[in-house]
Amino acid sequence: MPFLSRIRINPLRAASQKLLANPRAIHGAVQGGIADRPTDERVLWRLDSDNPHRPMLFVLSPSRPDWTHIVEQAGWPDADGEHSAIADYTPLLAQLAIGKEFAFRLTASPVQNSSKPTGDSEHRKKTPKELHQRSYRLPQRTAAHQLDWLLQRTTRWGFDIPHARTDPAAPGLALPEQLTPAHDVRIIDRSRHNITKPGSKTAATLTTATFEGFMRVTDPRLLETAMLNGIGPSKAYGCGLLTLAPPAGR
Amino acid sequence: MTTYHPTSGGEPVLVLRLAGVLQSWGDRSAFNRRETRPEPTKSGVIGLLAAAAGLPREADLTDLLGLRLGIRVDQAGTLLRDYHTVSDYRGRPLPQTGVSAKGVQKLTSPAKDTHVTHRFYLQDAVFLAAISGPRPLIEGLADAVLRPAFPLALGRRSCVPSQPIALGGLREGTLLDVLATEPWQAGEAHRDAYWRTAKRTNTRADHVDLSATIDDDNGDDVAHDVPLSFAPRERRFTSRRIRHTWLSVPTGFPAPDDATAAPAHDPFALLGW
Repeated sequence: MPFLSRIRINPLRAASQKLLANPRAIHGAVQGGIADRPTDERVLWRLDSDNPHRPMLFVLSPSRPDWTHIVEQAGWPDADGEHSAIADYTPLLAQLAIGKEFAFRLTASPVQNSSKPTGDSEHRKKTPKELHQRSYRLPQRTAAHQLDWLLQRTTRWGFDIPHARTDPAAPGLALPEQLTPAHDVRIIDRSRHNITKPGSKTAATLTTATFEGFMRVTDPRLLETAMLNGIGPSKAYGCGLLTLAPPAGR
Repeated sequence: MTTYHPTSGGEPVLVLRLAGVLQSWGDRSAFNRRETRPEPTKSGVIGLLAAAAGLPREADLTDLLGLRLGIRVDQAGTLLRDYHTVSDYRGRPLPQTGVSAKGVQKLTSPAKDTHVTHRFYLQDAVFLAAISGPRPLIEGLADAVLRPAFPLALGRRSCVPSQPIALGGLREGTLLDVLATEPWQAGEAHRDAYWRTAKRTNTRADHVDLSATIDDDNGDDVAHDVPLSFAPRERRFTSRRIRHTWLSVPTGFPAPDDATAAPAHDPFALLGW
């Protein structure tokens, strides 16, 4: 039975500044909230900083977690209000049906695979064996490429993104025929992290984009799989958690 | 975006409030596991109307099958699992499915004394059902719901509805318009919780987003719950095309001063039940 959690973070504390600066630190703190088999469960998380003074950490975990350690180190342990909320996720999964519409938000790490990358970094000189017999994953770094990455893959995740609603043009102002209508999704945040792992001198780069928009369910089973198992790479570092909300104002 | 085809324009709409301690709307349950859909089924609502009109179980349902149905989820409720056991009061083992040469069911061997069944219910749920159809039929049904010939039930005989069922009079307009304008029917505790949450998260409380399912010939989902016959030995069902949508319904709570503030993305808004 999956659970969705929401933990509020106090950005003024030393522990939270370490968390907010480093996805590896959040990964450790999130895994620390899973009691029994933290390495076997697929735990997804996302940091939402709509209000930068009040960031929220969302976590989806297969078993019921406990966030006391994050609240004690990086929250407001003595303050009023809800330090962390944990809700059963199954009611939402039961509501998924073909044609149903939701607002969604997703932080993902769009990548493309290439066997012949350009550039001369140490990483790109690795042999296929050192890369575990796969090709190089290169980040999509422009907003247009990141948006294309999302739109090309939505069908296999069980949803599609409808065209944005637009008013008809004023009379006499005909639009060019070849103009394709825009999809109802936008990138609200793009960022780049350099992550240095212990024992390595070179930093790994993580390029993320946060998408927000409207979606229409086309295949509830595929969507459920995508929601529980995450979307795209870098799932340990805050990517891949797709959350749904009621489509307000539509 | 799909567009709504006002197939019910000009026809009156009967609005029913489906609320009770327990409800159970099964569509394909059989044997030991009786599940419930998260929303009322068309067979459940037509069965309720047929009971109100005093139709026997074998009656011809042709008139009622022309009705168009829209369901709005005002309060989703929570799921209740009833762990249920069955045994023989004389203390004998239960019969198995195989029969003897005389055509009598054989007893289980090794002896099995208890059958386990699961029955699922929605508890503390409130739905709004809008039904449109030809005027004489709808007027007759509106009258019948106020003076039902048989006791009414919410999906199963044991699920007694709470008053009022009929919300007074008939509405005009399409199913979608009626569902979007009818006041929110959620209970007092649910309304208070909504108001408190809106205040805490600084979002608007004057409207609430409710999910709805309506009959639509161009809809993209299918529900297999249209009853062809309720006769005990001849129960048959067929399917209908439906469409899921969202409605923004007035709550009666005051609007905030800043009328343009858009609510932020809240993943917990859908996990209320």
